Amino acid sequence: MADHRFRPVSGEKPCCDISKKARICLCVVFGLLVVVIIAVVVGIVMWRQPPQHQEWKGAGTTAHFYEIILGRCYTYTQIVRPELGHKDCQKIGKAFTNAFLSKDPCGSTEQDYQPLMELTNQTVPCDKTLLWSKTNELVHEYAWVQRELFTLENTLLGYMGDGLRWCGDLGSSEMNYQSCPDRRKDCSNNSVSVFWNTVSKRFAEDACGVVHVLLNGSVHNTFDERSTFARVEVFNLHPEKVHTLQAWVMQDIRNISSDSCSDASIKNLKLILSKRNITFTCEDNYRPIRFLQCVKYPEHSSCRSKI
Amino acid sequence: MAALGRASSLLSLLALLLVPAAGAGGARWRGEGTSPHLRSIFLGRCAEYSSLLSPELRDKNCTAIWEAFKVVLDKDPCSVFPSDYELFISLSRHSIPRDKSLFWENNHLLVTSYAENARRFMPLCDVLYGRIGDFLSWCRQENASGLDYRSCPTSEDCENNPVDSYWKMASMQYSRDSTGVIHVMLNGSEPKGAYPVKGFFADFEIPYLQKDKITRIEIWVMHEIGRPKVESCGEGSVKILEERLEKMGFQYRCINDHLPVKLLMCVDHSTHPDCALNSMILHTRPRTCGCGGSPVLLH
Repeated sequence: MADHRFRPVSGEKPCCDISKKARICLCVVFGLLVVVIIAVVVGIVMWRQPPQHQEWKGAGTTAHFYEIILGRCYTYTQIVRPELGHKDCQKIGKAFTNAFLSKDPCGSTEQDYQPLMELTNQTVPCDKTLLWSKTNELVHEYAWVQRELFTLENTLLGYMGDGLRWCGDLGSSEMNYQSCPDRRKDCSNNSVSVFWNTVSKRFAEDACGVVHVLLNGSVHNTFDERSTFARVEVFNLHPEKVHTLQAWVMQDIRNISSDSCSDASIKNLKLILSKRNITFTCEDNYRPIRFLQCVKYPEHSSCRSKI
Repeated sequence: MAALGRASSLLSLLALLLVPAAGAGGARWRGEGTSPHLRSIFLGRCAEYSSLLSPELRDKNCTAIWEAFKVVLDKDPCSVFPSDYELFISLSRHSIPRDKSLFWENNHLLVTSYAENARRFMPLCDVLYGRIGDFLSWCRQENASGLDYRSCPTSEDCENNPVDSYWKMASMQYSRDSTGVIHVMLNGSEPKGAYPVKGFFADFEIPYLQKDKITRIEIWVMHEIGRPKVESCGEGSVKILEERLEKMGFQYRCINDHLPVKLLMCVDHSTHPDCALNSMILHTRPRTCGCGGSPVLLH
């Protein structure tokens, strides 16, 4: 019986009965198809990729920026100053990010922060405002112990923004976590600098009675005309409300030199204030804060001798 | 007369109506209610601690830590045990720098000031799982799901309440992870005694100290400025603590009014005679343990 199911295998026979020309044509078409598919895939991937942020010379937005400011807002209004418990932290958080998202990070203005400012209004009692320049660590250690005094960072907005960085981008609704403008190397009207100028101005405008300032007597320019204290705060104190500015000039405990209240830059400050009809008083190495410095260097001679 | 009688019966009726209302309006427990916006504060603090203070903690997943924590918010507020926080602790724990542990009783604010945000020392409130819960309160309602914002149980209400169990678990872990020189700050002006014989330090910290990882223990007995010196080193409950540590085989040292901390207290009392610096030096001589007999073996 003949078996028709199997064909005898006869060497190497081509699978398809087509001409060489056709085969070349097919290969070319196939090749083109592969290229087209790759191009389409790449195109889709690129189109779906978020737009790239601009590159700046400063550090980017702090990781988890929104969670941090929200958490701080609640901590401040529920625990630190519960008399502000009525503040709406959701609204405040949104107003904060709306001030810089989708905007040019080098074109920030005071107006951008107005909605935020309105939601975070806060009265600081008279005689309790504590300004500072070049004494970041010391002033906040002091305010922690003397809880009735307020530095800017002890107000709601200052507390929220302290130590953080943020910026957005014109072409994007996202925060730029890669980089943000550096004040000197990129632009001075950046989101963070404008924030601090705006809140410092209001902080000074709201002050009343005796205002204190903690200055650093161990640096070259104790009263620095380029500092936020000089540029923004001194000029926005209202003479009808603030009658005296008292400076505490602290020197590094390991290197106490001459009386820093008679320093030239301090005399300059006194002059500026007298022109604005504000009395200026100065105290060298204010004793309570000297104690604070002694905590770090308890064995130092000025911490052992009776002052 | 009849009018008076009717008025008084009306009043008593009113009283009957009001009393149950007052009962419903009164707080069930002795402690503060759940902190509003607990989740936001929790996540914010976790994010802040991770990204600002300790760069090596950037791998902590705050969402996962919250998920692990919030299981207790579904439990009966008198049936929350330290072990309910095991997963939370395992996700949030991190190492504590050697010689930087600072234990304390009855001087929370002073300790936080002195620790300088973990720069000088790292007390429990400057460790991630301590920072997250600091000054917060939380509990489920007694007979319903949902949080109780009015009050939460304290130890006087019931032992196994959410907040106490949290701090017990946190304290035990903090102790286990402490190495090198251990510091303890006690309040020598506390009328009930500087070392609470039943307290977090006594019951949930000392027993979990790892002897083979500890070099010695330093006790600071601080006295509040202008307040009486109820106890000092070698006296009362402090003596009980010293004897306990000695029995456990620890080397220890006790100092009255440790100078740097005393100086910090003086910031607020700069004109007080106790803060005349000369007099301060004389009272801070350390008292060390005799430790006669076999020395502590350190590995």
